[in-house]
Amino acid sequence: MSMLRLPEDIATGHMDDSALLVKSRGVTKRFGGLLAVNNVDFDIPRGSIVSLIGPNGAGKTTFFNMITGYYIPTSGEITFDDKPVVRMTGTKVKALKPHQVTALGIGRTFQNIRLFGTMSALDNVRVGLNVHLRSHWWDSVIRTPGMLHEEQKSIDESMELLRLVDLDTRSETWARNLPYGDQRRLEIARALATRPKLLLLDEPTAGMNSSETREMTDFFRRLRSELGLTVLLIEHDMRVVMDISDRITVLDHGEVIAEGSPTEVRANPRVIEAYLGRGAAEAS
Amino acid sequence: MSASTTTIGSGVGGWFGFLGSTLGSYPGRYRKALKEHRGKSIGLTLLFLAIVTYPVIGHYVISNISRTVVPLPYPDDTVSTFMMIFAIMAIGLNVVVGFAGLLDLGYVAFYAIGAYCAAFLASPHFGALGINLTFLGNVGPGAAGIHLPYWIIAVVAIIVVATFGALLGAPTLRLRGDYLAIVTLGFGEIVPLFFKNLSSVTFSLSLGPINIQLQNANWTGGVQGINPIDPPFLPILGWIFDARSGPMAVYLGLFLLAIAILVARNLELSRIGRAWGAIREDETAAEMMGVNTVRTKLLAFALGASFAGVAGSFQASYLGASTSDFFDFSISILVLIMVILGGVGNIWGAVAGAFVLTYVDKTLLPYIGQRIGDIAPSLPNPAEYNFLIYGIILVIMMRFRPQGFLPSRQREAELSVHGLEEADLAMGIEAPELDNVSVAPPGQEETGGDARTPEVPGEARDL
Repeated sequence: MSMLRLPEDIATGHMDDSALLVKSRGVTKRFGGLLAVNNVDFDIPRGSIVSLIGPNGAGKTTFFNMITGYYIPTSGEITFDDKPVVRMTGTKVKALKPHQVTALGIGRTFQNIRLFGTMSALDNVRVGLNVHLRSHWWDSVIRTPGMLHEEQKSIDESMELLRLVDLDTRSETWARNLPYGDQRRLEIARALATRPKLLLLDEPTAGMNSSETREMTDFFRRLRSELGLTVLLIEHDMRVVMDISDRITVLDHGEVIAEGSPTEVRANPRVIEAYLGRGAAEAS
Repeated sequence: MSASTTTIGSGVGGWFGFLGSTLGSYPGRYRKALKEHRGKSIGLTLLFLAIVTYPVIGHYVISNISRTVVPLPYPDDTVSTFMMIFAIMAIGLNVVVGFAGLLDLGYVAFYAIGAYCAAFLASPHFGALGINLTFLGNVGPGAAGIHLPYWIIAVVAIIVVATFGALLGAPTLRLRGDYLAIVTLGFGEIVPLFFKNLSSVTFSLSLGPINIQLQNANWTGGVQGINPIDPPFLPILGWIFDARSGPMAVYLGLFLLAIAILVARNLELSRIGRAWGAIREDETAAEMMGVNTVRTKLLAFALGASFAGVAGSFQASYLGASTSDFFDFSISILVLIMVILGGVGNIWGAVAGAFVLTYVDKTLLPYIGQRIGDIAPSLPNPAEYNFLIYGIILVIMMRFRPQGFLPSRQREAELSVHGLEEADLAMGIEAPELDNVSVAPPGQEETGGDARTPEVPGEARDL
């Protein structure tokens, strides 16, 4: 079980290292001449819902990809659950492979949905479970009882997750044949199948109408309260961000320009200037 | 799945118990299938019986009719055996190409390595190098060279070829699509050339106790190849499965094919099969969902190649000879055509493709050529234009039935947008609601079909 913190605790940000699920220090990523992420210190307290916002090109997804091991940072250190994901030895950066990061307990969804299109919804979720299955290929060849038992358990667990996202009646439908909203939820079920401690959601409500968005935010709260998950969110919809986040970090041009509770961030002049200015003006 | 819902014991006893209950459930399942899909079940049963009895009928009945009454284009014992050999290869290539989506154009390399495994381990060849070893072989004691029984060779061939499969896979792991195909193509060219040219090796190594001196050593028999190779032999019964054994060799091939089908199917319906599917669909997403793509792709190469190891070793033992000419680049293409014609990703499709194409290649075209030759000797012999004819068949197939004879569900859907919608309607799934944004088809998101621009300009692999 993760330690649940009071929202005030989380919001103030004053806590010791053991309360942090993700701790990153001086993370920098360069693509050729472009400095995508510059010297970012970013913490995610356990049991919190943290949002990463910023204008397009601010480096949010790049940062996401460094936590999950998809990009190797140019420099910096990231620890997850007190284990190093990225560490520096001298000037060399050592990073875990994406599948190793997944095994540590980070599940994610994608900005553009990336399901396994011609596999059933059930099999999509079962791929997420793969990292926790122990049978070898030779067990599959001769179909050992242990392997069959494990397969049955993986089906049961996957069906449970499909039920959680309301897709259990569609378990045999191909992922690509599902409607858009179902695909978004299936991606979350697949990410949950990796049994994550931290769930990374990259614009999960993009393309949804307001009632679907409300359902989705309620669902994220449920994930935190029922499964004890920590959630890191990239989102453009400010209503969602302000509504759900315990803490918000604002990136602009690859740098952290503000950090704090929704109220603090909303009031921060640099944020208004860089990002919220237009949105706030439109809202009022 | 029905068997797995019952309680399953553990260990070897549990495995036999499971095997017993599975086998025991077949009569009931067959009766049920017969009731529910009568026509289909009867048809498949007849097809199965025809395939099982064909080697005997072909050998004793049809060959007689063909010799005495009228010449028939029937596959004789040799062609039937080759049908089995190519079907095993097609199943193996289907693991790599169909399941994992990795295009392999050098598959013949594994076939050749399998054949030379048999040639090295069951022939007098190494006697000339002073290496003599006979173990359970079908030769007299003290025979020159290495003589192991085929059953051991088959296992050795699987291990050796799987190792080479992984070796080929290792440098190609970072490659996708066309680049992968080019590297495998090179491998398929290099290996047969090795076998052709390693006929006079001069080599010396002196490292402490190890002292190897080779002077013009003939390793692979060069262009002549290696022969004779011991045929597969079943000791107690005294059965020999060589080119003169008629239906016996076909039945051994059928037996090996049945095992190959079973293994491929079990792999497909397992954890590793799902991982292959995930890599085929979206390698990046698979990796982010915890699939160890390096391991999974290497396994696809190694396991896929091992089928060719069985096929190659059986072919060499059956023919009693192994020559490098046989392992031409065209074999790689031929097997790939079999998989494509049959239906990429479908085991039964691969088998059907292999049966049909081997039959056309080795029986039908020579038969037509002979008939044409009888009537008008000046006309071209179609057997000499076999690849032209396959090309035409492929073009016609791609135009009218691109998914192959027996398509996998995936392939069928990829090639038909209409089929998809119809399948949805048939399954009672309504169209997405209007206020839902429809999803761009795969591939379109990269080209900027999505309204959002990538986070970082020029970042091709944005997630």
